Amino acid sequence: MPTRREFLVKSSAFAGASLLASLPAGAQTVNGASVLVANTLPEPAGLAAGSTPANPTNVVSSNLFDGLITYDENFRPVPQLARSWTESADRRAITFKLRDDVKWHDGTPFTSADVQYSIMEVSKKVHPIARPTFAQIVAVDTPDPHTAVFRLAQPSPVIWAYLDTSSAFIFPKHLYAGTDPLTNPYNAKPVGTGAFVFKEWNRGNYIRLVKNPDYWDKGKPRVDELIFRIIPDASARSVALQNGTVQYAPLTPVSLIEARRLEQNPNLIVDSKGWRSNAPMFFMDFNLRQKRFQDVRVRRAIAHAINTKQLAQAVFYGFATPATGPVPSYQKNFYTADTPQYPYDPARAEALLDEAGLHRDASGVRLRFNHLNHTYGEDYQRAGMFIQQQLKRIGVEVTLVNYDLPTYLRKVFTEHDFDTMSAFYAAFADPQIGVIRRYWSKNIIAGAAWSNGSGYTSAEMDTVIETIQSEQDPQRRTDAIHQLQVIAQRDLPSINLGELKFFRIYAKRLENVNTTPIGVYASLDDVAFGAASAT
Amino acid sequence: MSRPVQFPPSRSLRPLLAVLRVAGKAPSLAAGTLMLLAIVAIALGARHLTAYDPMDMVGSPFIWPGTDAGFPLGTDMMGRDILSGIAWGARVSLEIGVAAGLLAAAAGALIGAVAGFYGGFVDEVLMRVTEFFQTMPALLFTIVMVVVVRPSVATIVLSVALTNWPQVARLVRAEALRVSRAEYVQAARVIGMSRPRIVVTHVLPNVMTPAIVMISILAGNAILTEAVLSFLGLGDPNVITWGSMIGSGREALQTAWYMTAIPGCAVLVTVLALNLLGNGLNDLANPRRRGAQRGVL
Amino acid sequence: MSMAPRSPAKRRRPWPYPLRRVCQALPLVVVIAITNFFWLRLAPGDLADVIAGEAGAATPEFMAELRRQFGTDQPLALQFVAYLKRLVHLDLGWSFRYNESVLHLILDRLPATALLLVSALLLALLIGCAAGTLAAVSRWRAVDIAVSVLATLGFATPLFWLGLMLMVLFSAHLHWLPSGGMATLGVDTHGWARVRDIAAHMAMPVFCLAAYYLAIYARLMRASVLEIVGHDFVRTARAKGASRFRTVVSHVVPNALLPIVTMTALQFGTLFSGSVAIETVFSWPGLGQLSLDAVSSRDLNLLLGILFVSSLLVLAVNLITDLVYGWFDPRIEVQR
Repeated sequence: MPTRREFLVKSSAFAGASLLASLPAGAQTVNGASVLVANTLPEPAGLAAGSTPANPTNVVSSNLFDGLITYDENFRPVPQLARSWTESADRRAITFKLRDDVKWHDGTPFTSADVQYSIMEVSKKVHPIARPTFAQIVAVDTPDPHTAVFRLAQPSPVIWAYLDTSSAFIFPKHLYAGTDPLTNPYNAKPVGTGAFVFKEWNRGNYIRLVKNPDYWDKGKPRVDELIFRIIPDASARSVALQNGTVQYAPLTPVSLIEARRLEQNPNLIVDSKGWRSNAPMFFMDFNLRQKRFQDVRVRRAIAHAINTKQLAQAVFYGFATPATGPVPSYQKNFYTADTPQYPYDPARAEALLDEAGLHRDASGVRLRFNHLNHTYGEDYQRAGMFIQQQLKRIGVEVTLVNYDLPTYLRKVFTEHDFDTMSAFYAAFADPQIGVIRRYWSKNIIAGAAWSNGSGYTSAEMDTVIETIQSEQDPQRRTDAIHQLQVIAQRDLPSINLGELKFFRIYAKRLENVNTTPIGVYASLDDVAFGAASAT
Repeated sequence: MSRPVQFPPSRSLRPLLAVLRVAGKAPSLAAGTLMLLAIVAIALGARHLTAYDPMDMVGSPFIWPGTDAGFPLGTDMMGRDILSGIAWGARVSLEIGVAAGLLAAAAGALIGAVAGFYGGFVDEVLMRVTEFFQTMPALLFTIVMVVVVRPSVATIVLSVALTNWPQVARLVRAEALRVSRAEYVQAARVIGMSRPRIVVTHVLPNVMTPAIVMISILAGNAILTEAVLSFLGLGDPNVITWGSMIGSGREALQTAWYMTAIPGCAVLVTVLALNLLGNGLNDLANPRRRGAQRGVL
Repeated sequence: MSMAPRSPAKRRRPWPYPLRRVCQALPLVVVIAITNFFWLRLAPGDLADVIAGEAGAATPEFMAELRRQFGTDQPLALQFVAYLKRLVHLDLGWSFRYNESVLHLILDRLPATALLLVSALLLALLIGCAAGTLAAVSRWRAVDIAVSVLATLGFATPLFWLGLMLMVLFSAHLHWLPSGGMATLGVDTHGWARVRDIAAHMAMPVFCLAAYYLAIYARLMRASVLEIVGHDFVRTARAKGASRFRTVVSHVVPNALLPIVTMTALQFGTLFSGSVAIETVFSWPGLGQLSLDAVSSRDLNLLLGILFVSSLLVLAVNLITDLVYGWFDPRIEVQR
């Protein structure tokens, strides 16, 4: 009689073999209905982007909820819930004409009251990014059920970069008014206006959405069901993508090394374009409250000592390009290359440190400080190690500290208990939404995560930033944005190390995957299965 | 048929044969000691055996072991020399193991001795404390401690010691109970020696054996725990340890599995050596009759 | 249950043994609950920090609002009282991270971990005891040596590393077994097919978890059997004509199992710890993974709940084994 172990081994081998045989080469139809299987990670806290803003939520939410507009390839607004819009001559009023044939998934008609509630009661009150971005909106008028007018105190061009569903989220007023939007139970079983209707959420397993039969955009969605699987293990995700069990994975689903390998797979596409509106940037901050970092020569020396090209290659495996400033180079309307640069030059670095009075001591060390690694994964820890090694060569001894996220945030933004830190953040589509946070003295807010961590204060920079926020003339505003980059690179409170290329991986045979800059947050309503390619 | 003539072994071989004979009687002890000595030698000689700083990115990444003479064990995904990592990692692992083992043994021995000797209320209280520490799942406890304080070698040593002393305490307490009834201890009480003094001068020295024997097992546990913590990303980022090598190799498991295999083998061999040593010492301390019983069946 | 005769001078409280043990355990439970609470508060950073971090930005108002919701802006004493009140009602609190009650989350994940633990334990017991017995009674020295060597190796191998290596071999290269998770994705299986699917996913994690305990049980059983074999009743049995096999199976093994019972109780805590690492390696959706998540997201309610429940489990197992032991060996009662 076989021992239990033998029995298990045999049956598992057998099970393995039979599984292989029945493994569908990308299950696209189940009982005749076409099913698109996607992946989100980690498991979202809620499914409404307006109340639980985070990447895993946003990618699901856009399928359930439409926004006022969406964006095209050039980041210009395209109608969604709003059919058309006009701006008043003084730019203090934006009138949106809304569609009249849109219903919430429970049958209630969508009206301008929903827009008013969402912007005034939620976005402006509790959304961490919308609040400052919509600072100039003082009221949303609703002259009729299908017209919403944004009334602004001052013209605010930045609003136009922040109106899609993940940014200016539209809640169903009839289900949210009078409740606390953060804890409303409909965050877990949403009622939206989007192409897909929420069906079920099997926690730890999957989120299931089905086609909205009454969707205003006829012909969409082009699949019957959309399932978001939650797969905590990276190698399981990789296997799932390779054998077609998951066809769309928008949130950097595998490690960088693995992604390079999967690029060779003829059935998969590894795409970075869909992340451009999020614009992730990797940087290193100095704690300017410390006297030794207040000498700009010290900061410049350290910039000269880090080889950003090698960082992009060795640590990020090419999924990054060296940054030349705080604004990413692919944001053509805002970027300028004409800024002070600090090319890799260890000799110059050492000279600068000598000039600043930091000479090598008996053990060859000029300067000692600690460095808080960003906490989101191996890549950033490796980046920290890379920086440590590069600085060792010029006599700077760096001690790495690996806190977990909550401690890290506390230490940096509340207690200011750090010497240097590195992090990535989203620069977003307009520098006013993301970039200025790092350089504005008014954004040094204790306790607010991702505010101005270095403590940089410069009257000159503040003036430029305030110009960016209030300037109406687009050319003068762009000039100010260029000026911001010049000052940021000259004063160097923070070394901009890399423009990161987050990526999505999806099956090549999917048609019409959104590759606009908001691709990763866009709805999958236009996606369908093309002809299966030869495997 | 005549008996073959036996030549006595030459003089130079006699000491070797003597050692082998002893080793044959206690194979675990011998094997364990030898292996451990080899590992200690590697750890101490790391500076001379290897040319590179284990944390420095000195070569091209992903070199397979045996393909490049400059990097006999290959390089990892950042171009760091794996041989250097193993040699220098041996140092850290042994340090952690020994420190945690000693700490746990010392704490456990003290508490066990006091509990066993004093008895009564003190014993009850100490035993409840021991139970408390034993009830908490050790790894979770360690993880929470490391997260709460901060990942570093010191925190790991401390938390490993905290989760491992109960086993020592139990063993020592049993011994202490026995010793406390011995005549010389009773005599010391009669002549009025203070209780703490009795514990230190009479009880502890006689109950140390189980604690000492356990040190090497505890060291092995500590090394395993450090490996898990580093693997989970909770290790000290400023040193290369075998656990951190296993952890960082995980991303490349599909293709470059040697990055995980090699440091894992190092851990295995070291913990094996420590366990063999511990078992050997245990056999020495508690000799058991062997072979005789089998005959019954 | 038979009570062995006791001297009246020694025993003053004739409470039944099980009840006494439970009463002994209760204060421990309370102490665990209390210490958990205070010591987890030592960690800097809280759940609001995490959520703010994930949002990519936060205003102080947003964070204050979050903290008001979580109740973490109250003074410590008030929070503690609230915590105790909930505990009495067996309410382990609300996990704001998962938007679910902690009890619900734990009960959701408990079966997966339990499946792993119980299977590993059974496997280790069966094979370990069989191997240990074999090593002790076999006439061939080689068997004894082989078992000892394997046991020592099993003891020394880092479990999570073993898991990774097995994954490389059986998943990445041979494609015999799936590399992670509990069931195959995209395929909805029922009945026997589902059992086979889960078994395939379970094979490696259970084996890894069992390896360490297999080694322990093998050694322990071997030592125990060797000890029993020296007793008179074994010789008597053989003298009366019982076959070797029968002697071992019906006389030696049952008696040799006693220390195994104790060892199981002692090891249960470590078993749970082991599952944390294994669940991470194999992405098994159990309590181990949940607790790691709770640690890194500072979801204190969840973490406290898990620690509390696991401590209760360990206590329960200890209690049960103590009772089983006491039932097996009535001498224990008098000794205590």
